[in-house]
Amino acid sequence: MSVAPLLLLGLLALGAATGLGPRLPRVWLALTVAGTAALLAAAVVVLAGGADWEWRSGFAVGGEALHLRLDGISALFLGLLGTVGGLGAIYAREYWSDEQQPDSAPRGRRWWGSIILSMGFVLLSSNGLHFLIAWELFAVSSFFLITLERERREVRAAGWLYLAASHAGTLCLFAFFAALAARTGSWDLGPLRDRPDLAPLFWLAFAGFAVKAGLFPVHIWLPSAHANAPSHVSALLSGVTLKMGLYGLIRFGGWLPVPAAAGWIVMAVGAVSAVFGIAFALAQNDLKRLLAYCSVENVGIITVGIGGAMLGAAHGAAPWGRLLLAGALLHILNHGLFKSLLFFGAGSVLHATGTRELSRLGGLWRSMPWTAGLFAVGAAAICGLPPLNGFVSEWLIYLGLFGPAMSHHPAAWVAMPAALLLATAGALALATFLKAGAVVFLGAPRTQTAERAHESGLRMRAPMLALAAVCLAIGLAPSWLWPALARAVGTWNPAWVAGAPPPLLTLSLAQVGLAALFVAAGAILWRRARATGMRRALTWDCGYSRPTARMQYTGGSFAAIAAGWFSWLLQPARAQRRPHGPFPEGASRIERVPETVLERLVEPAAGGARRLARAARRLQHGRLQFYLLYLAAGLTALAILGLVEAMR
Amino acid sequence: MNQTLNLLIGLAMGLNLLALGSGRLPSIIRTVAVQGMILGVLPLVMEPGFGWTVSAVAGVTVGVKGFVIPTLLRRAMRMANIEREVEPFIGFVPSLLLGALGTIGAVAAARALPLLPEHARTLVVPGALASIFTGFVLLVGRAKAISQVCGFLVMENGIYLFGLLLIHSTPLLVESGILLDVTVAVFVIGIIVDRIQRAFDSLDTRKLTVLHE
Amino acid sequence: MIAILPFALRLACWLLLAPLLPGIINRVKAWVAGRRGPPVLQLYYDLARLWQKSVVLSVLASPAFVAGPAVAWVALVAAAMLVPLGPAAGFPSFQGDVLLLVYLLALARFCIAWAALETGSAFEGMGAAREVSYAVLTEAALMTAILSLSVQTGSVTLNTMLAHSSGPGALLLAAGLFSVLLAENCRVPFDDPNTHLELTMIHEAMVLDHSGPPLAVVLHGAALKLLLFAVLLSEAVLPMGRLAPLAATAVLAAAVALVTVGVGLVESLLARFAFRRVPLLLTTAFLFCLFALLLAWKGGAP
Repeated sequence: MSVAPLLLLGLLALGAATGLGPRLPRVWLALTVAGTAALLAAAVVVLAGGADWEWRSGFAVGGEALHLRLDGISALFLGLLGTVGGLGAIYAREYWSDEQQPDSAPRGRRWWGSIILSMGFVLLSSNGLHFLIAWELFAVSSFFLITLERERREVRAAGWLYLAASHAGTLCLFAFFAALAARTGSWDLGPLRDRPDLAPLFWLAFAGFAVKAGLFPVHIWLPSAHANAPSHVSALLSGVTLKMGLYGLIRFGGWLPVPAAAGWIVMAVGAVSAVFGIAFALAQNDLKRLLAYCSVENVGIITVGIGGAMLGAAHGAAPWGRLLLAGALLHILNHGLFKSLLFFGAGSVLHATGTRELSRLGGLWRSMPWTAGLFAVGAAAICGLPPLNGFVSEWLIYLGLFGPAMSHHPAAWVAMPAALLLATAGALALATFLKAGAVVFLGAPRTQTAERAHESGLRMRAPMLALAAVCLAIGLAPSWLWPALARAVGTWNPAWVAGAPPPLLTLSLAQVGLAALFVAAGAILWRRARATGMRRALTWDCGYSRPTARMQYTGGSFAAIAAGWFSWLLQPARAQRRPHGPFPEGASRIERVPETVLERLVEPAAGGARRLARAARRLQHGRLQFYLLYLAAGLTALAILGLVEAMR
Repeated sequence: MNQTLNLLIGLAMGLNLLALGSGRLPSIIRTVAVQGMILGVLPLVMEPGFGWTVSAVAGVTVGVKGFVIPTLLRRAMRMANIEREVEPFIGFVPSLLLGALGTIGAVAAARALPLLPEHARTLVVPGALASIFTGFVLLVGRAKAISQVCGFLVMENGIYLFGLLLIHSTPLLVESGILLDVTVAVFVIGIIVDRIQRAFDSLDTRKLTVLHE
Repeated sequence: MIAILPFALRLACWLLLAPLLPGIINRVKAWVAGRRGPPVLQLYYDLARLWQKSVVLSVLASPAFVAGPAVAWVALVAAAMLVPLGPAAGFPSFQGDVLLLVYLLALARFCIAWAALETGSAFEGMGAAREVSYAVLTEAALMTAILSLSVQTGSVTLNTMLAHSSGPGALLLAAGLFSVLLAENCRVPFDDPNTHLELTMIHEAMVLDHSGPPLAVVLHGAALKLLLFAVLLSEAVLPMGRLAPLAATAVLAAAVALVTVGVGLVESLLARFAFRRVPLLLTTAFLFCLFALLLAWKGGAP
């Protein structure tokens, strides 16, 4: 099968789904699954050794002929898009069905097809103008998908914040592409490494793509958008649309020459993003907000890999540069998979209980065993625990970071701190996902809503199962992905095509052995426990006579120690009513971690700008005499200026 | 000779960090005393052969820094009846990390300075810079007066290390002069500490702001 | 068949010698306190006894409560097999296996903490919260120590990293790794293994609800972790690669015994620190490893 017919099939199927979706849900599901499967197949064809595909159209769109290209890098992203897009559509049929959401479900179906199509175009475009058109289209589609539940005020606020931030980034991209077109003379994009004058444009591209990717200081839109969107949309946003920003960074970091400081700065921003992102995640008490902040952390990890690859390319150090880029690309894939799995699980919990608050959940493993087990698999994967896929990509990145340290390369001065920060972030991620998984699924239900939960249906469980299976497969056999990764790395930097691969086969044998031993040990111990006699009793609680479910450790208490170390960053707001007297009425303590950069930096700055504008508005008071005075003053000033110039 | 010198100065730099991490006043005083004694022995290591002047000055320095000054400080501490540092302005962990950063920065900065070849291979200049920085962090970061005095003593140790660079040209009499000044200063500070304690019933220097108009 | 013999021998060493260490520590503590103390082989008797006992599960616990300790134990055994034992090289050995070691330890921690949180009790929640929070700092210190070894030896493979001669920062690395050993194995001054007061427990709190065979697995795993860290510490600091096989084995045994006695003495002579001072201690351990790293970097710079 060749690429062009598959892509055409995908385009037609998704286009038909977008058009017919609102009214015919079953047809929409079939068409969307077919279309995304076609995209996935096209990506697999290219990655499995097919040649790069390129196509220029005869007709013009917006004055430029269409120039589409599918090479190793875009194929990887396209495959991820196809997977998450298709599974999300299956999930949405039950999660956001017409019975429960009569007015927003049809709209959701239309925009789902639209967003997948536009993201596909972003990945395939090799022309600056069309890249921008597709970029804008997918930002708008995301906005409409985020605000599906537009009756709720916080959803509308999240949508506006997302749109504003997205457009700030797109503005930088407009400047970038326009400057690029002006300097090279055409809108066409391609390898341009022999033009050193293009290097300063990298910073514009970095700013624009960093906003979309959600790196640390410019991630302010991410938490509210991903938390308030419907869960299948959050999965797509976290899993794929963040990666569009990273795609831009990788693509233009490879095609264009970059300034010397680029690798250092990108790596530093990534490492800081990783630690700060997971610190915020640890302190959250809203399940989906926690997952959203964790995306900031993982995007940071990927950016460390990308920065390291740029450093490696600049210094001609192929061994570790290649490992870092391969690790980053694999982590992009892995994160897309396990973050979608986690968001689907969170959606399942939200669907069953109606709440995302950790302090209202608990003990859900009894009523939702599948969701609990699959969420646990996702949590283990995101912490990078063997034998799952998260470990493989983090292992590759660490191997790359150790490279400059071992060879006493000057790049070690940023690689070693980055490795330390990643280790810290990894340990914090372990704490975060223990908190998320345990407080939601383990123990006893904390409220009535948690007691009345039910397991989700087959159409919500099947995508989660599929994602968990792929995570396990990648973890157990990463060596079958290496040729695809090597292909993508070679496309990024042709000097890095050949080279020894890392010992993935030994690693995969070790992971398979571990997985088998884990299962065996668990089974043996369970059988032994049953054999010696097993009985159930109440949990030991030091002899309290009336233990309640609310005596369990809450999410906030679990995270309190580590979050306390980061309180300078998190700036938590606390409202407390202490118990008074010998028979106290009631007491409460509400702690909220604000989105610090937004509420302490951006909003005050915006407030200041508003105040300035309001002060300037006093010039516009409607009095005719003063307007005439302004005219006269302006003309006089121009006259004086002209006289001064003439006398010079 | 270089190895012993570097080892001793390395120990002194480690004691800097120990002082930054200590919360109890007796341990800070003890740390500064040991640091003073180590640095007092250095002229004996740096000067080849045995000279009466050098040994005398070294002995007096060790005696004063190791016994006299700490005794004065402990007496002040007993009169003020305090043993523990309150939570300082710069917390213990941040000041420890700051001190470590300062030590690394001192080593890097010393590499950039144009030193004589015999000094470039030793840790004298990095140790001096690190001690001055540590002393400053203690002075600025701590709330109790006695901890601040200890910070001043650590700074003086750093300046003393700088002075050791001139050991071949300047007679050690200058070092002794500085030492005498410091002893008198600590004695006076002991009296002042007692006065502060009686006036405010606490050695927290933040209370001194009440004196401003 | 012959090829599997060294592997089986090493496995047997790890599994059979691990329970000896807590016995030695308890004996040292008893000797310092002027008592006779339990027999050195006490943990072996305890494990045999626990394996025969029945299990009591909380009504709130899922099967993961029993599976957790099993998975954690396998992870610790696998981590131990990666580490060379004196002259015997670790297997499987590949580039980057030290990272697999670190993540296997993290997996063990995850599983034990997950099993702890299964019970829905405030004690276990407290223990798990403390354990994973302090693990953040010990991870940083451990990663710094690994970086220092890697810079010194120019390799990311455990066999090469631990077999070479010690570098200039050996003493600092020893101090740092010893503190990490005390923290990770929940010894004084970080945690008191004898206490059962909830205000002072970390590890003990996490395994409070286990009984019977799962508890035996947890205790053996803890002993194995202690032996693992002791071996890592000894091999990181001593120049194992330069000695003949028999001498290397003897030196390793002596070093591990010394570390164990040292842990016992520290437990007897120090009191458990207040929890708010633990970050300071762990930062100190991190700084020891950091300075060892910087010394190693300076030592090998061209």
